[in-house]
Amino acid sequence: MAPDPDAALMVAYQQGDERAFRSLFERNARAMVSFCHHFVRDAARAEELAQDVFVKLYRAKDRYRATARFSTFLYRIASNHCLNELRRGEYAARPVGLAGEQDGPPDPDALPSGAATPEEAARGKALEGAVRDLLSRLPEKQRAALVLCRFEGLSYEEIAQVLDTTIPAVKSLVHRATVAAAEALAPFQPAVKEVLS
Amino acid sequence: MTHPRADLTALLDGALPPDRAEELRRHLAGCPDCAAEERRLRGALSLLGALPPAPEPSPFFATRLEARLREEREKRVGFFARLVAARWKLAVPAAALAAAALVTTAVLRHAHARELAVAEQLELLEDYEAVASLGDVDSPEDAMVVAQLDDLERAEGTP
Repeated sequence: MAPDPDAALMVAYQQGDERAFRSLFERNARAMVSFCHHFVRDAARAEELAQDVFVKLYRAKDRYRATARFSTFLYRIASNHCLNELRRGEYAARPVGLAGEQDGPPDPDALPSGAATPEEAARGKALEGAVRDLLSRLPEKQRAALVLCRFEGLSYEEIAQVLDTTIPAVKSLVHRATVAAAEALAPFQPAVKEVLS
Repeated sequence: MTHPRADLTALLDGALPPDRAEELRRHLAGCPDCAAEERRLRGALSLLGALPPAPEPSPFFATRLEARLREEREKRVGFFARLVAARWKLAVPAAALAAAALVTTAVLRHAHARELAVAEQLELLEDYEAVASLGDVDSPEDAMVVAQLDDLERAEGTP
């Protein structure tokens, strides 16, 4: 296995080096905010959750074993925390469109990257809304598997380690979540056909 | 014919063993329904991949985390300080309790010793009364015999 620089930093932090923790944060902060955002689709809440994750990591230094990949350890903390927050029902109660982003015509100064026109921006926004709606309906394990696989790019084996389950179980979770995504995003499929053609 | 729909996502993710993937591709070439499902899933993956990236952390993200970590460190220090303070606070009542226990034990032992002495005197008195009722205690020697009556009885009982 290739050397894991984050694992080395975590070990240094275990031995009392607080600067190593600071480096871990700098290297992983953006990825954690992104991961939490995929869970809650709410920028402000994603930052709060990511902060919680780093505080939990700060407290959990004695639980880390250097034999495990650091990213697996971190994603495990993050997944558990996000799922616990979702279980509390705060997000389930939020209607789509009130979860941080405003509805209405897109602000031209805030076009998503890659959106050349307001129409594309509007379509991107609608797609985001559909994905947010999909994620809020998925059972929690499917949701976690979908986020880890589709947005974080983890392999089935890594997802199994993060979710503490088997590879066949991950295969099933990812498949069912992808089928649900295909159904939820069916109205956007013609756009894909255009792109593919 | 069985349709291997459950493996289609794993095929798209490149997560199947090569021989199983090849088997599925052959099936897709001859099964329009499964081929359509595979296209539908592929389309969903393209759409998910086309989502805009998550927003960047705000400029104050690191500052706020640093503040929370400072609180964590203070909590740790506070915990140990409370532990040390609690140790001294508990020391006084613990010492008082130990002293009280010692005094109680000494008093009880003393009282027990007095009771034993009284009991011995009572036994002796009973022996005196028993022997005196026979009218045989006339001299100090007789009194000595009465005082050692129990020992004499045990000695006589021994073969």
